[in-house]
Amino acid sequence: MISVFLPQIILLTKSIAFLGFVLRSISSMDSSSGSEFDYLFKLLMIGDSGVGKSSLLLSFTSDTFEELSPTIGVDFKVKHVTIEGKKLKLAIWDTAGQERFRTLTSSYYRGAQGIIMVYDVTRRETFTNLSDIWAKEIDLYSTNQDCIKMLVGNKVDKENDRVVTKKEGIDFAREYGCLFIECSAKTRVNVEQCFEELVLKILDTPSLTSEGSTTVKRNNIFSQKPPASDASTSGCC
Amino acid sequence: MDAKIGKLFDSIGTFFSGTDNIPWCDSDIVLGFEREVAQAENGSDDEHKSVCLLRLSWALVHSKRPEDVQRGIAMLEGSLPSTSDPLQMREKMYLLAVGYYRSGDYSRSRHLVDRCLEIAPDWRQAITLKKSIEDHIKKDGVIGIGIAATAVGLVAGGLAAALSRKK
Ligand SMILES: Nc1nc2c(ncn2[C@@H]2O[C@H](COP(=O)(O)OP(=O)(O)OP(=O)(O)O)[C@@H](O)[C@H]2O)c(=O)[nH]1
Ligand SMILES: [Mg+2]
Repeated sequence: MISVFLPQIILLTKSIAFLGFVLRSISSMDSSSGSEFDYLFKLLMIGDSGVGKSSLLLSFTSDTFEELSPTIGVDFKVKHVTIEGKKLKLAIWDTAGQERFRTLTSSYYRGAQGIIMVYDVTRRETFTNLSDIWAKEIDLYSTNQDCIKMLVGNKVDKENDRVVTKKEGIDFAREYGCLFIECSAKTRVNVEQCFEELVLKILDTPSLTSEGSTTVKRNNIFSQKPPASDASTSGCC
Repeated sequence: MDAKIGKLFDSIGTFFSGTDNIPWCDSDIVLGFEREVAQAENGSDDEHKSVCLLRLSWALVHSKRPEDVQRGIAMLEGSLPSTSDPLQMREKMYLLAVGYYRSGDYSRSRHLVDRCLEIAPDWRQAITLKKSIEDHIKKDGVIGIGIAATAVGLVAGGLAAALSRKK
Protein backbone atom coordinates (compact mmCIF):
# COMPACT_ATOMS: atom_id res chain seq x y z
CA MET A 1 0.00 0.00 0.00
CA ILE A 2 2.73 2.47 1.02
CA SER A 3 4.67 1.75 -2.17
CA VAL A 4 1.71 2.91 -4.25
CA PHE A 5 1.66 6.30 -2.58
CA LEU A 6 5.41 6.80 -2.59
CA PRO A 7 5.82 8.72 -5.90
CA GLN A 8 2.98 10.99 -5.00
CA ILE A 9 4.40 11.71 -1.56
CA ILE A 10 7.75 12.56 -3.09
CA LEU A 11 6.10 14.88 -5.59
CA LEU A 12 4.12 16.59 -2.88
CA THR A 13 7.19 17.14 -0.71
CA LYS A 14 9.01 18.59 -3.70
CA SER A 15 6.15 20.97 -4.41
CA ILE A 16 6.01 22.10 -0.82
CA ALA A 17 9.76 22.67 -0.75
CA PHE A 18 9.51 24.72 -3.94
CA LEU A 19 6.63 26.75 -2.59
CA GLY A 20 8.66 27.38 0.54
CA PHE A 21 11.53 28.63 -1.59
CA VAL A 22 9.27 30.94 -3.57
CA LEU A 23 7.67 32.37 -0.43
CA ARG A 24 11.03 32.88 1.21
CA SER A 25 12.29 34.64 -1.87
CA ILE A 26 9.30 36.94 -1.92
CA SER A 27 9.67 37.80 1.73
CA SER A 28 13.36 38.62 1.33
CA MET A 29 12.63 40.89 -1.61
CA ASP A 30 12.19 44.04 0.41
CA SER A 31 15.34 43.81 2.46
CA SER A 32 17.36 46.69 1.06
CA SER A 33 20.66 44.89 0.97
CA GLY A 34 21.99 41.49 1.83
CA SER A 35 24.88 42.78 3.88
CA GLU A 36 25.23 44.01 7.40
CA PHE A 37 26.70 47.33 8.45
CA ASP A 38 27.59 49.21 11.62
CA TYR A 39 26.72 52.69 10.44
CA LEU A 40 24.69 54.26 7.70
CA PHE A 41 25.89 57.69 6.62
CA LYS A 42 24.12 60.08 4.34
CA LEU A 43 26.49 62.10 2.18
CA LEU A 44 25.43 64.91 -0.14
CA MET A 45 27.16 66.30 -3.22
CA ILE A 46 26.51 69.89 -4.27
CA GLY A 47 28.03 72.46 -6.61
CA ASP A 48 27.48 74.10 -10.01
CA SER A 49 26.35 72.11 -13.01
CA GLY A 50 29.20 70.49 -14.91
CA VAL A 51 31.80 70.55 -12.14
CA GLY A 52 31.81 66.74 -12.10
CA LYS A 53 29.73 65.63 -9.11
CA SER A 54 28.20 62.67 -10.90
CA SER A 55 31.56 61.81 -12.45
CA LEU A 56 33.21 61.76 -9.02
CA LEU A 57 30.48 59.53 -7.67
CA LEU A 58 30.70 57.17 -10.62
CA SER A 59 34.47 57.10 -10.34
CA PHE A 60 34.15 56.24 -6.64
CA THR A 61 31.37 53.64 -6.88
CA SER A 62 32.24 51.87 -10.12
CA ASP A 63 35.77 52.87 -11.16
CA THR A 64 34.64 54.25 -14.48
CA PHE A 65 34.77 57.61 -16.21
CA GLU A 66 32.77 58.68 -19.23
CA GLU A 67 30.91 61.63 -20.66
CA LEU A 68 27.78 62.25 -18.61
CA SER A 69 24.47 64.00 -19.11
CA PRO A 70 23.45 66.60 -16.52
CA THR A 71 21.64 65.09 -13.55
CA ILE A 72 17.87 65.45 -13.47
CA GLY A 73 16.74 66.38 -9.98
CA VAL A 74 18.54 64.05 -7.61
CA ASP A 75 20.32 60.75 -7.99
CA PHE A 76 21.83 58.43 -5.42
CA LYS A 77 24.17 55.51 -5.06
CA VAL A 78 24.99 53.17 -2.22
CA LYS A 79 28.49 52.02 -1.44
CA HIS A 80 29.68 49.66 1.28
CA VAL A 81 33.12 50.33 2.70
CA THR A 82 35.13 49.11 5.66
CA ILE A 83 37.16 51.75 7.45
CA GLU A 84 39.05 51.18 10.69
CA GLY A 85 37.28 47.86 11.11
CA LYS A 86 33.86 49.45 10.90
CA LYS A 87 31.42 48.46 8.20
CA LEU A 88 29.81 51.48 6.68
CA LYS A 89 26.95 51.85 4.30
CA LEU A 90 27.27 55.13 2.46
CA ALA A 91 24.15 56.54 0.83
CA ILE A 92 25.53 59.23 -1.44
CA TRP A 93 23.09 61.77 -2.83
CA ASP A 94 24.12 63.47 -6.03
CA THR A 95 22.17 66.65 -6.72
CA ALA A 96 21.64 68.52 -9.96
CA GLY A 97 23.62 71.76 -10.19
CA GLN A 98 21.21 73.40 -12.63
CA GLU A 99 19.37 76.29 -11.09
CA ARG A 100 15.93 75.11 -12.18
CA PHE A 101 16.25 72.11 -9.85
CA ARG A 102 17.51 74.08 -6.86
CA THR A 103 14.30 74.12 -4.83
CA LEU A 104 14.06 70.39 -5.40
CA THR A 105 17.63 69.53 -4.43
CA SER A 106 17.49 71.71 -1.31
CA SER A 107 14.96 69.35 0.23
CA TYR A 108 17.58 66.58 0.23
CA TYR A 109 20.02 68.38 2.58
CA ARG A 110 18.26 67.30 5.75
CA GLY A 111 19.88 64.59 7.79
CA ALA A 112 23.15 64.56 5.86
CA GLN A 113 26.21 63.83 8.00
CA GLY A 114 28.60 64.91 5.27
CA ILE A 115 28.40 67.47 2.48
CA ILE A 116 30.80 67.49 -0.45
CA MET A 117 31.04 70.90 -2.16
CA VAL A 118 32.56 70.51 -5.59
CA TYR A 119 34.03 73.13 -7.93
CA ASP A 120 35.90 72.93 -11.22
CA VAL A 121 39.49 74.22 -11.00
CA THR A 122 39.24 75.33 -14.65
CA ARG A 123 36.14 77.52 -14.17
CA ARG A 124 36.39 80.36 -11.70
CA GLU A 125 32.67 81.04 -11.39
CA THR A 126 32.14 77.53 -10.00
CA PHE A 127 34.54 78.52 -7.21
CA THR A 128 33.04 81.93 -6.46
CA ASN A 129 29.55 80.40 -6.46
CA LEU A 130 30.59 78.32 -3.44
CA SER A 131 30.32 81.33 -1.16
CA ASP A 132 27.68 83.14 -3.24
CA ILE A 133 25.28 80.19 -3.49
CA TRP A 134 26.27 76.86 -2.02
CA ALA A 135 27.40 77.89 1.48
CA LYS A 136 24.12 79.79 1.82
CA GLU A 137 22.15 76.75 0.72
CA ILE A 138 23.87 74.70 3.43
CA ASP A 139 23.06 77.32 6.08
CA LEU A 140 19.42 77.32 5.02
CA TYR A 141 18.69 73.66 4.50
CA SER A 142 21.17 71.48 6.37
CA THR A 143 19.61 70.16 9.58
CA ASN A 144 22.73 68.64 11.13
CA GLN A 145 24.58 71.30 13.12
CA ASP A 146 27.80 69.30 13.22
CA CYS A 147 27.65 67.98 9.69
CA ILE A 148 31.12 67.68 8.12
CA LYS A 149 31.83 69.71 4.99
CA MET A 150 34.44 68.94 2.40
CA LEU A 151 35.64 71.27 -0.34
CA VAL A 152 36.66 69.46 -3.51
CA GLY A 153 38.48 71.02 -6.47
CA ASN A 154 37.88 68.69 -9.41
CA LYS A 155 39.44 68.24 -12.88
CA VAL A 156 43.08 68.68 -11.81
CA ASP A 157 44.01 66.52 -14.82
CA LYS A 158 43.44 69.66 -16.92
CA GLU A 159 46.41 71.39 -15.29
CA ASN A 160 46.98 73.69 -18.30
CA ASP A 161 43.46 75.09 -18.06
CA ARG A 162 43.59 75.64 -14.32
CA VAL A 163 42.43 79.08 -13.15
CA VAL A 164 41.82 78.44 -9.44
CA THR A 165 45.06 77.78 -7.56
CA LYS A 166 45.41 75.20 -4.84
CA LYS A 167 46.22 77.97 -2.37
CA GLU A 168 42.88 79.64 -3.04
CA GLY A 169 41.14 76.36 -2.25
CA ILE A 170 43.10 75.92 0.96
CA ASP A 171 42.35 79.48 2.04
CA PHE A 172 38.64 79.10 1.39
CA ALA A 173 38.55 75.83 3.33
CA ARG A 174 40.39 77.38 6.27
CA GLU A 175 38.06 80.34 6.41
CA TYR A 176 34.95 78.23 6.02
CA GLY A 177 36.19 75.57 8.42
CA CYS A 178 35.99 72.52 6.22
CA LEU A 179 38.17 69.78 4.77
CA PHE A 180 39.84 70.26 1.41
CA ILE A 181 41.16 68.09 -1.38
CA GLU A 182 41.92 68.42 -5.08
CA CYS A 183 41.11 65.49 -7.32
CA SER A 184 40.22 64.25 -10.78
CA ALA A 185 37.29 62.03 -11.56
CA LYS A 186 38.97 61.27 -14.86
CA THR A 187 42.33 59.97 -13.61
CA ARG A 188 40.78 58.90 -10.26
CA VAL A 189 43.57 60.69 -8.43
CA ASN A 190 42.45 61.44 -4.83
CA VAL A 191 38.87 60.26 -5.47
CA GLU A 192 38.89 57.56 -2.80
CA GLN A 193 40.83 59.78 -0.41
CA CYS A 194 38.15 62.42 -0.74
CA PHE A 195 35.39 60.13 0.51
CA GLU A 196 37.67 58.42 3.02
CA GLU A 197 38.76 61.64 4.72
CA LEU A 198 35.20 62.83 4.96
CA VAL A 199 33.98 59.57 6.45
CA LEU A 200 36.89 59.40 8.92
CA LYS A 201 35.99 62.86 10.18
CA ILE A 202 32.34 61.85 10.54
CA LEU A 203 33.40 58.77 12.52
CA ASP A 204 35.46 61.10 14.73
CA THR A 205 32.46 63.28 15.54
CA PRO A 206 30.47 61.73 18.41
CA SER A 207 27.28 63.67 17.74
CA LEU A 208 27.13 62.22 14.23
CA THR A 209 27.74 58.62 15.18
CA SER A 210 25.88 58.35 18.47
CA GLU A 211 22.79 56.24 18.71
CA GLY A 212 19.62 58.26 18.42
CA SER A 213 21.05 60.73 15.97
CA THR A 214 20.00 60.34 12.36
CA THR A 215 22.60 57.62 12.03
CA VAL A 216 21.11 54.20 11.86
CA LYS A 217 22.91 51.28 13.37
CA ARG A 218 21.55 48.06 12.01
CA ASN A 219 22.24 44.41 11.50
CA ASN A 220 19.93 42.40 9.35
CA ILE A 221 18.83 38.81 9.14
CA PHE A 222 21.82 37.69 7.14
CA SER A 223 24.26 38.86 9.81
CA GLN A 224 25.38 35.31 10.59
CA LYS A 225 27.02 34.94 7.23
CA PRO A 226 30.84 35.01 7.04
CA PRO A 227 32.15 38.52 6.42
CA ALA A 228 34.32 37.49 3.49
CA SER A 229 31.36 36.64 1.29
CA ASP A 230 30.19 40.19 0.82
CA ALA A 231 31.26 41.04 -2.69
CA SER A 232 30.01 44.60 -2.57
CA THR A 233 32.37 45.58 0.21
CA SER A 234 35.59 47.05 -1.01
CA GLY A 235 38.70 46.80 1.08
CA CYS A 236 38.76 50.46 1.78
CA CYS A 237 37.14 53.65 0.75
CA MET B 1 29.45 23.91 4.89
CA ASP B 2 27.95 26.74 6.92
CA ALA B 3 29.86 29.26 4.86
CA LYS B 4 28.48 27.77 1.68
CA ILE B 5 24.91 28.05 2.90
CA GLY B 6 25.58 31.61 4.00
CA LYS B 7 26.91 32.42 0.58
CA LEU B 8 23.94 30.83 -1.13
CA PHE B 9 21.47 32.77 0.96
CA ASP B 10 23.43 35.93 0.41
CA SER B 11 23.34 35.55 -3.35
CA ILE B 12 19.62 34.81 -3.22
CA GLY B 13 19.17 37.84 -1.02
CA THR B 14 21.02 40.20 -3.32
CA PHE B 15 19.38 38.66 -6.37
CA PHE B 16 15.93 39.34 -5.02
CA SER B 17 16.63 42.71 -3.47
CA GLY B 18 18.39 43.98 -6.59
CA THR B 19 20.07 47.35 -6.62
CA ASP B 20 17.34 49.91 -6.83
CA ASN B 21 19.05 53.28 -6.78
CA ILE B 22 16.10 55.46 -7.70
CA PRO B 23 15.54 58.15 -5.05
CA TRP B 24 12.33 58.63 -3.07
CA CYS B 25 10.52 61.86 -2.41
CA ASP B 26 8.62 62.65 0.80
CA SER B 27 5.05 63.84 0.65
CA ASP B 28 5.81 67.19 2.28
CA ILE B 29 8.16 67.94 -0.59
CA VAL B 30 5.42 67.08 -3.06
CA LEU B 31 3.13 69.44 -1.17
CA GLY B 32 5.65 72.28 -1.44
CA PHE B 33 5.80 71.99 -5.23
CA GLU B 34 2.03 71.69 -5.40
CA ARG B 35 1.83 75.12 -3.75
CA GLU B 36 4.53 76.50 -6.04
CA VAL B 37 2.60 75.38 -9.14
CA ALA B 38 -0.61 76.87 -7.79
CA GLN B 39 1.16 80.21 -7.35
CA ALA B 40 2.72 80.01 -10.81
CA GLU B 41 -0.70 79.43 -12.38
CA ASN B 42 -1.67 82.97 -11.39
CA GLY B 43 1.40 84.50 -12.99
CA SER B 44 1.90 85.08 -16.69
CA ASP B 45 5.44 83.73 -16.97
CA ASP B 46 5.05 80.55 -19.06
CA GLU B 47 8.68 79.60 -18.73
CA HIS B 48 8.45 79.73 -14.94
CA LYS B 49 5.21 77.75 -15.06
CA SER B 50 6.76 74.93 -17.05
CA VAL B 51 9.79 74.76 -14.73
CA CYS B 52 7.46 74.53 -11.72
CA LEU B 53 5.47 71.79 -13.42
CA LEU B 54 8.65 69.86 -14.20
CA ARG B 55 9.68 69.98 -10.52
CA LEU B 56 6.24 68.88 -9.40
CA SER B 57 6.20 65.96 -11.82
CA TRP B 58 9.69 64.96 -10.65
CA ALA B 59 8.43 64.94 -7.06
CA LEU B 60 5.23 63.06 -7.93
CA VAL B 61 6.78 60.16 -9.83
CA HIS B 62 9.42 59.75 -7.10
CA SER B 63 6.83 59.88 -4.32
CA LYS B 64 6.24 57.03 -1.89
CA ARG B 65 2.48 57.30 -2.33
CA PRO B 66 1.05 55.36 -5.27
CA GLU B 67 -1.64 57.97 -5.88
CA ASP B 68 1.03 60.65 -6.31
CA VAL B 69 2.84 58.48 -8.83
CA GLN B 70 -0.41 57.99 -10.78
CA ARG B 71 -1.01 61.73 -10.78
CA GLY B 72 2.54 62.35 -11.99
CA ILE B 73 2.06 59.85 -14.81
CA ALA B 74 -1.20 61.52 -15.85
CA MET B 75 0.44 64.95 -15.77
CA LEU B 76 3.40 63.86 -17.90
CA GLU B 77 1.26 61.88 -20.36
CA GLY B 78 -0.88 64.97 -20.73
CA SER B 79 1.98 67.36 -21.36
CA LEU B 80 4.19 65.19 -23.60
CA PRO B 81 2.27 65.70 -26.88
CA SER B 82 2.60 69.49 -26.63
CA THR B 83 6.33 69.39 -25.81
CA SER B 84 8.50 70.32 -28.75
CA ASP B 85 11.87 71.08 -27.15
CA PRO B 86 13.93 67.87 -27.48
CA LEU B 87 15.65 68.31 -24.11
CA GLN B 88 12.37 68.79 -22.24
CA MET B 89 10.91 65.90 -24.21
CA ARG B 90 13.55 63.44 -23.10
CA GLU B 91 13.40 64.66 -19.50
CA LYS B 92 9.68 64.07 -19.44
CA MET B 93 10.10 60.67 -21.06
CA TYR B 94 12.59 59.73 -18.37
CA LEU B 95 10.29 60.91 -15.58
CA LEU B 96 7.36 59.06 -17.13
CA ALA B 97 9.54 55.93 -17.24
CA VAL B 98 10.26 56.38 -13.51
CA GLY B 99 6.50 56.69 -12.90
CA TYR B 100 5.69 53.52 -14.83
CA TYR B 101 8.54 51.73 -13.04
CA ARG B 102 7.25 52.75 -9.61
CA SER B 103 3.72 51.69 -10.52
CA GLY B 104 4.97 48.28 -11.65
CA ASP B 105 4.39 48.76 -15.38
CA TYR B 106 7.83 47.48 -16.33
CA SER B 107 7.31 46.88 -20.04
CA ARG B 108 6.11 50.44 -20.70
CA SER B 109 8.87 51.79 -18.51
CA ARG B 110 11.51 49.84 -20.42
CA HIS B 111 10.13 50.98 -23.75
CA LEU B 112 10.47 54.64 -22.72
CA VAL B 113 13.87 54.25 -21.15
CA ASP B 114 15.10 52.58 -24.34
CA ARG B 115 13.95 55.62 -26.28
CA CYS B 116 15.81 57.89 -23.83
CA LEU B 117 18.98 55.86 -24.33
CA GLU B 118 18.63 56.04 -28.11
CA ILE B 119 18.73 59.82 -27.81
CA ALA B 120 21.45 59.91 -25.13
CA PRO B 121 23.30 56.59 -24.76
CA ASP B 122 25.53 58.00 -21.99
CA TRP B 123 22.63 58.99 -19.75
CA ARG B 124 23.60 57.43 -16.40
CA GLN B 125 20.26 57.86 -14.66
CA ALA B 126 18.47 56.19 -17.56
CA ILE B 127 20.99 53.34 -17.54
CA THR B 128 20.42 52.86 -13.79
CA LEU B 129 16.66 52.86 -14.30
CA LYS B 130 16.94 50.34 -17.10
CA LYS B 131 18.98 48.04 -14.88
CA SER B 132 16.40 48.29 -12.09
CA ILE B 133 13.61 47.49 -14.55
CA GLU B 134 15.45 44.45 -15.84
CA ASP B 135 16.16 43.23 -12.30
CA HIS B 136 12.44 43.39 -11.58
CA ILE B 137 11.44 41.63 -14.78
CA LYS B 138 13.96 38.88 -14.07
CA LYS B 139 12.73 38.54 -10.51
CA ASP B 140 9.08 38.41 -11.53
CA GLY B 141 10.01 35.79 -14.12
CA VAL B 142 11.69 33.57 -11.55
CA ILE B 143 8.80 33.91 -9.12
CA GLY B 144 6.38 33.20 -11.98
CA ILE B 145 8.27 30.05 -12.91
CA GLY B 146 8.38 29.02 -9.25
CA ILE B 147 4.65 29.43 -8.81
CA ALA B 148 3.93 27.66 -12.10
CA ALA B 149 6.22 24.75 -11.21
CA THR B 150 4.62 24.47 -7.79
CA ALA B 151 1.17 24.44 -9.35
CA VAL B 152 2.24 21.77 -11.85
CA GLY B 153 3.69 19.73 -8.99
CA LEU B 154 0.50 19.99 -6.98
CA VAL B 155 -1.69 19.03 -9.94
CA ALA B 156 0.58 16.10 -10.77
CA GLY B 157 0.50 15.03 -7.14
CA GLY B 158 -3.29 15.25 -7.10
CA LEU B 159 -3.54 13.28 -10.31
CA ALA B 160 -1.23 10.61 -9.02
CA ALA B 161 -3.32 10.41 -5.86
CA ALA B 162 -6.53 10.12 -7.85
CA LEU B 163 -5.06 7.48 -10.12
CA SER B 164 -3.65 5.39 -7.32
CA ARG B 165 -6.94 5.55 -5.48
CA LYS B 166 -8.70 4.20 -8.58
CA LYS B 167 -6.40 1.23 -8.49
N1 LIG C 1 38.86 66.29 -17.73
C1 LIG C 1 37.95 66.04 -16.78
N2 LIG C 1 36.63 66.09 -17.09
C2 LIG C 1 35.74 65.82 -16.11
C3 LIG C 1 36.14 65.48 -14.80
N3 LIG C 1 35.04 65.24 -14.04
C4 LIG C 1 33.98 65.46 -14.87
N4 LIG C 1 34.39 65.79 -16.11
C5 LIG C 1 33.50 66.08 -17.27
O1 LIG C 1 32.69 67.17 -16.95
C6 LIG C 1 31.39 67.00 -17.47
C7 LIG C 1 30.33 67.23 -16.41
O2 LIG C 1 30.45 66.25 -15.41
P1 LIG C 1 29.21 65.79 -14.50
O3 LIG C 1 29.72 64.77 -13.57
O4 LIG C 1 28.03 65.44 -15.33
O5 LIG C 1 28.88 67.15 -13.73
P2 LIG C 1 27.80 67.38 -12.59
O6 LIG C 1 28.45 68.22 -11.55
O7 LIG C 1 27.23 66.09 -12.14
O8 LIG C 1 26.68 68.23 -13.35
P3 LIG C 1 25.11 68.35 -12.98
O9 LIG C 1 24.57 66.99 -12.87
O10 LIG C 1 24.49 69.13 -14.09
O11 LIG C 1 25.04 69.12 -11.70
C8 LIG C 1 31.31 65.59 -18.03
O12 LIG C 1 31.33 65.64 -19.43
C9 LIG C 1 32.55 64.93 -17.51
O13 LIG C 1 33.07 64.01 -18.44
C10 LIG C 1 37.56 65.43 -14.51
O14 LIG C 1 38.03 65.12 -13.40
N5 LIG C 1 38.41 65.71 -15.55
MG1 LIG D 1 25.36 65.33 -12.17
